[in-house]
Amino acid sequence: MKFRHSLLAKYLLIIIVALIIWPFVLPAYYIPSYFLNKDFPQRAQYMDTNKLKKMWHHEAAKLDGATPEQVNQKLHTVREQYPLAWMFWVDGTGKTKLILSEQKNIPAQWTLENSIEFMNQSDEDPITFVSFIGGKQSNGFMVFQIPPSVTKLPTLSIIDNKLLALYAFLVFGLFLFVSWLFFFKIRKRLIHLQTAMTETQENGIPEKIVINKKDEISELGKAFNHMIDELIKSRHHEQEEEALRKQLIANISHDLRTPLTAIRWHAYSLQKEPLSSKGKDSLHLIENKVDLLSHLLENLLSYTLLSAGKYTLQRKETDIIRFIRESMAGWYPVFEKEGFKIDVSLPEKALSWNIDPHWFMRILDNLYQNVIRHAKSGQYVGVRIVDYEGRTAILIEDKGPGLDVTTDKKGAGIGLSIVSLMLQEMQLGWNITSSPKGTAIYLYEK
Amino acid sequence: MKNKLLYIEDDKEIGSWVSEDLTRRGYDVTWLTSGDHASHYMEGYDLVILDIMLPGLDGFSIGQRLKKEYPETPILLLSARTSIDDKLQGLHFADDYVTKPFHPDELTARVEVLLRRFGKMSQPLIQLSHLSIYLDQNRIIDTRLNTEIALTAKQFQIFTYLLRHPNQILTKEQIYEAVWETPYIVGDKTLMVHIRHLREKIEENPSQPQIIETIRGIGYRVKQ
Repeated sequence: MKFRHSLLAKYLLIIIVALIIWPFVLPAYYIPSYFLNKDFPQRAQYMDTNKLKKMWHHEAAKLDGATPEQVNQKLHTVREQYPLAWMFWVDGTGKTKLILSEQKNIPAQWTLENSIEFMNQSDEDPITFVSFIGGKQSNGFMVFQIPPSVTKLPTLSIIDNKLLALYAFLVFGLFLFVSWLFFFKIRKRLIHLQTAMTETQENGIPEKIVINKKDEISELGKAFNHMIDELIKSRHHEQEEEALRKQLIANISHDLRTPLTAIRWHAYSLQKEPLSSKGKDSLHLIENKVDLLSHLLENLLSYTLLSAGKYTLQRKETDIIRFIRESMAGWYPVFEKEGFKIDVSLPEKALSWNIDPHWFMRILDNLYQNVIRHAKSGQYVGVRIVDYEGRTAILIEDKGPGLDVTTDKKGAGIGLSIVSLMLQEMQLGWNITSSPKGTAIYLYEK
Repeated sequence: MKNKLLYIEDDKEIGSWVSEDLTRRGYDVTWLTSGDHASHYMEGYDLVILDIMLPGLDGFSIGQRLKKEYPETPILLLSARTSIDDKLQGLHFADDYVTKPFHPDELTARVEVLLRRFGKMSQPLIQLSHLSIYLDQNRIIDTRLNTEIALTAKQFQIFTYLLRHPNQILTKEQIYEAVWETPYIVGDKTLMVHIRHLREKIEENPSQPQIIETIRGIGYRVKQ
């Protein structure tokens, strides 16, 4: 970043401009009055008193030996040039000749006394030049006066001049406004940046920022954009890894299931051969073990994906009663075949839960599977909507030997782990009460 | 006339067993080891059994392509891939999903259900207790008296819907939505009334129905 593009440079510029313009502020105030007030340029020619003094002496020197008429004539000429000035002249005898003045107490005959009195006459003395005509005292003298109203500088008192006060206030206000604008813009951009950093897109990553300046905030924006790039890259990488992992798991599953299919098929072919009852039992056992192995495999892979957070959860409002009814419709024949008494008692009403239906289906599948595997001796499965500790809960119960009893059919562990993980992800609660008389599982919204 | 099945499976062992078994069960099976040219075979086939992990194009791509060209032909995915994601992806276009290792009886049952659902059964006559049902002609004959049973349109629709899903329990929501084609409203008794009238016409003893079975708390089932 170049210094001239920086915010620091801009701020310094504002300060310096403010300091530099201050001396010009007051003169600038008079510029309009110079152009608008016709009196003002006129008065300007009386400002340079040295020049006037020189002019007056020069004119006086030229009048050596002039007649009183010529002197009168000269004074009139000068008066035309300086209409605001006062003039009079006195001849060699001390007698006042021509008076071109509003001054009232000009003595007609000049004596030492009245000369001094004239000099002390007022507080506000006009500027007075006295020149001897032709440079000789005997010729008399001529007087040029600039009245105090002409030479008086315009008042600088702010209190006296409301317009000036307003002007000063405006200039100060302008400075404040520029400063405020400067910081307001910075603030606006910072807030914009903050919003951009907070709001995320569908992929959970904020969008890149458009940069069209070259200052410190833009540098920050660039750094942020760089970070977004890195994030996207790493997300991409992560997705690739995830895809690979899923692919690997799918491949393992496929490779293990293909031989299982072969085993099952051979067992099925064997059924058609003449077999002893022991042989038939073995065959039945093989079929059951293939089922168990297949189910375990599925749970193992699901668990791997779930625990790594690689299953996509898509929750939506679902009528849970209808959902249970439809899931039970699928499981009913399985329970029926195993000789279970099936007690489904669901109310005629809708009950909406925010769940991922596929996940919930998996949960119910695992729970029903467990009932079939571990509670077959109870020959009972009940699915009901009950009130559990003040909440509406789904109750799945059986009359099996309970979960703590060791049976020869292991594998409940991982199935229930999956149920637990999935329920947790969907923010559902569950509770198991198990006794040798049976197991009750409650599922409820937290 | 036999139903024609197109079976796409690259595993030689499983492929030969399944096609042998299905042939033995009375189907006309064509087995391909790759799905690349499957669409050339589709004409005249009643159902496709499709594996997912195939050399060349995978089952998902083939299935989607076939479904687009022949939406009236049911597709059954038969795969060793069991994850929810795979099933979801598969069921976007396929009509059923069977995972390996599967039981031959299960596969046949699923094939039959699909054929029935899509109206591809080569046997349009269904014998059920004292009823002979000709699905293609919309006729139901009481074989005891050899008289035709007249059903209202809705009764017939409900009955055929149950018949097309043999041995499956259908919830009242499913039946209502399939027949009325509007979402079921909780507490609606219309369907129950229709089923009661239907039973009065087809059951020997409507108070103890044998044909349309009530599954308490769940729905109805027609066993065949």
